Amino acid sequence: MIARALLSLLLCCVLVYAWVEYRRSPVIALSSVVASLAGIYFVWVPSHSTLVAEFVGVGRGADLVLYLWVCISLIVLLNLHLKLRAQHELITKLARSIAMANVQSPAPNAPRAFSVEVASQTGLPPPAAGGHTSTQMRDQTV
Amino acid sequence: MQKPAVWVICPAFNEAATIASVVAGLRRRRYDVVVVDDGSTDGTRHIAAKVATAVITHPVNLGQGAALKTGIDYALSQGAEILVTFDADGQHRAEDIPRLVRALTEQRADFALGSRRLGQPRNIPLVRRVFLFAATLFTVATTGLCLTDTHNGLRAFTRRGALALRLRQDRMAHASEILAEIARSGLRYIEVPVTIVYTEYSMLKGQRTADFIRILLDLFAQKVHR
Repeated sequence: MIARALLSLLLCCVLVYAWVEYRRSPVIALSSVVASLAGIYFVWVPSHSTLVAEFVGVGRGADLVLYLWVCISLIVLLNLHLKLRAQHELITKLARSIAMANVQSPAPNAPRAFSVEVASQTGLPPPAAGGHTSTQMRDQTV
Repeated sequence: MQKPAVWVICPAFNEAATIASVVAGLRRRRYDVVVVDDGSTDGTRHIAAKVATAVITHPVNLGQGAALKTGIDYALSQGAEILVTFDADGQHRAEDIPRLVRALTEQRADFALGSRRLGQPRNIPLVRRVFLFAATLFTVATTGLCLTDTHNGLRAFTRRGALALRLRQDRMAHASEILAEIARSGLRYIEVPVTIVYTEYSMLKGQRTADFIRILLDLFAQKVHR
């Protein structure tokens, strides 16, 4: 009875997790809901797991649970992968705005050199004038 | 009629060996060139800084797709009317750009895509040819665009075209993403024959054929997770 209660509690946690994650990734959330509901059901009605197992041709209920576990792990893995991607998108945005704030525009005879427009957007002195930039830096530190 | 402001976007990752000659070739033709140094460690940006109109440096390596987007954003902010994407490894020829630009201005297209099939390919290796054929089939199947060469880094967009692209793929899947975005935009596209020069250097730097698995994974992940 204790084992059943514990397992149910854990699976309920998965349900809550799925609810929280639903907005971010509905596919992941829905698969977790299906998996955990099936889990809760089999925890309380273990005999049915054997029936289902026999029906799908797995043999024993315990084996079925093992296979389900593998499936859940894979879903979690996919979710982690997606989270990493989301994080990477943030890094990209961050790196891009850093890069855009430090445009080097060296060629003096360039048709369109570092424009006043960009300088005002980034709030930085035009890096085109090399010496000029360093004087400004010194002014700021003094 | 005044010549349109053409900006060439050169994403570069550790291209110190070729960047100077590639950019100088473009500058000789009076194009504005923005080099996006994607976190190189070989001093690419210092070399580029001597010749390019502008050099933008990613503080860390993000991938070619991200570098292209950075360059496109910058060129748009500088009032570019025509944007050209051009590989920094020397596999493209600056002589092909006027043809792409003409395709945009005279045939009223918003996207001009270079095709090595229509041009004269210079020693494309067999493995690469099989891979490119598979990539073309994949593109026709997923986007419905009718193209002969789907993964060519030499392209030109009008300003309107560039503004219509929403690019989120940082790595190599951007080539497929650009095509998907062109299809979504519903704007006119055209293919223009270009010549790709396969050198030992560009082959070494280029995609390994196995990378396409990663590209498929990237595209799949974007479908699952918006």
